[in-house]
Amino acid sequence: MTLVPVTYKGGVHQHDAIIDLIEDLGGYIVQKHMIAQEVVLQCFVPKDDIELIARISKPLFGEVTESPLVGTEIAVVSMSLEIHHLPHPSCDFAEYARRIGAKTNMVSPARGPGKRISTINDEERDVINEHDIAVYAFGNFESCIEHKWPVMRRGIEVPIVVMGGPSEETLRRIIDPPADGYVGGVGRFMRRTKEGEEIAKLDEIVAEVTRVLEKKREEIAKDPLSVSPALLMEVIREQVPAIHQVTSPTPLTVQMAGLRVKLPYDTFAKPLRKIELEDGILLRDLAEVLPSRMRDYIIVRILPFSESNTVI
Amino acid sequence: MFAIEYFEVECPEPVGAAYYNQITNDVLLDHNLLKVIHKLHVFVDPRVPFFIAIGILNKITAKVRIGDFANVNPQEGKMTLVIANETYLAPMLKILWEKYGKDRVEQPDRFTVILYDVKADPKEIEEIIVADPSESLGKDLIYAFRLVAPEGFRVRRENHENGKFTFIASEDTISEDMDEIVRARFVLMGETP
Repeated sequence: MTLVPVTYKGGVHQHDAIIDLIEDLGGYIVQKHMIAQEVVLQCFVPKDDIELIARISKPLFGEVTESPLVGTEIAVVSMSLEIHHLPHPSCDFAEYARRIGAKTNMVSPARGPGKRISTINDEERDVINEHDIAVYAFGNFESCIEHKWPVMRRGIEVPIVVMGGPSEETLRRIIDPPADGYVGGVGRFMRRTKEGEEIAKLDEIVAEVTRVLEKKREEIAKDPLSVSPALLMEVIREQVPAIHQVTSPTPLTVQMAGLRVKLPYDTFAKPLRKIELEDGILLRDLAEVLPSRMRDYIIVRILPFSESNTVI
Repeated sequence: MFAIEYFEVECPEPVGAAYYNQITNDVLLDHNLLKVIHKLHVFVDPRVPFFIAIGILNKITAKVRIGDFANVNPQEGKMTLVIANETYLAPMLKILWEKYGKDRVEQPDRFTVILYDVKADPKEIEEIIVADPSESLGKDLIYAFRLVAPEGFRVRRENHENGKFTFIASEDTISEDMDEIVRARFVLMGETP
């Protein structure tokens, strides 16, 4: 059964029926938003049953759309958190990606801006590496991007999509060693992206990020994970009641090959490792429970089949 | 861009120049500074690197007087000031308090100020200067250009006098030949530096 990420949008009326249906079909709800009279569910559902969900939700005016970014955590690396780079364009993209299901975090190096003076430290590097993908928002000058790229990518192990002012061809030419994706024509600007052309640019970034993530998904599929992150989320939700007390919008953030648990590591790492997933198989057999560098959170990295020799 | 007679962005990278043209336009528009600038030349060279903005300002002689935003109505034993625009209310009250004393200046509501026992001609009161917008103009300009300039360029030198301004920013120490570049750009705009 292949699970595909979809977004369900519909009214509050009888939305419980849809949630039950998704769960009965073997799908998982990753995130649920209630906005006034509207419900948005980000979920994984079996590929063959999308039709069925669409048919059943039709009388409820529900809408099912595929959204490949659901269940991914994206780091938007802005060169600084000053007004020069925020809220446009970094926040514009972060917000746009959130709307279509991704969980985006803004990461900014303390000494990111500039040409010669820009650097990245170990904490920033580790935080970026905790994500599925990093989107680097560079500036407008090719000589600056060329100069700072080798420094800014040092130690980053996740795929990187570069966006910058120069055209895509120029970015491809100057970026050495190569990045995983390129989007040209989005440098630093100080106006909101609201016109058709600008929105099209955001779509272009999303398409590029999706392409790179698809590649990563294929990579993961070659050596499948011992347990699906969405299933693990479900189990933690049931067995660790403290997670319901967390006020953060996503107490459990699903990633492509892991999970961010927003509970303190010192207190919860041990009980988390001892969670029983299935007859005698504990979580620690299938995943590593590590301290996250983001606050005192926990990051769970699911081991591939080749390491655990078990699949649930 | 209206009101600006000369506006040029010079940069060895044409794409960067187009972006900085847009950024400068957006920032100056946001900060309401387009109408005070007469000529503007921006020169960015990311290879050195440096950022220069030089310009000529429009003459702002208009000082804000009480008569510009209030009506002065003399009555028996008192004088009523009807305020049309609150922007300069605070500095005006401060000046009136200093001049006539707090006990003779009363403000019953937002748009009215009453002066008691003031032996002055209404004309005289209308002529009192409450603010000089050109005083804060230099600060506003520098603030705006800090936003236009690339963020990493933190070594700065600014100058604003006689209706001309220069803003130089770089990542490294600002070299002496910068003055020569600035002078050449002023000549380019058809002005003497």
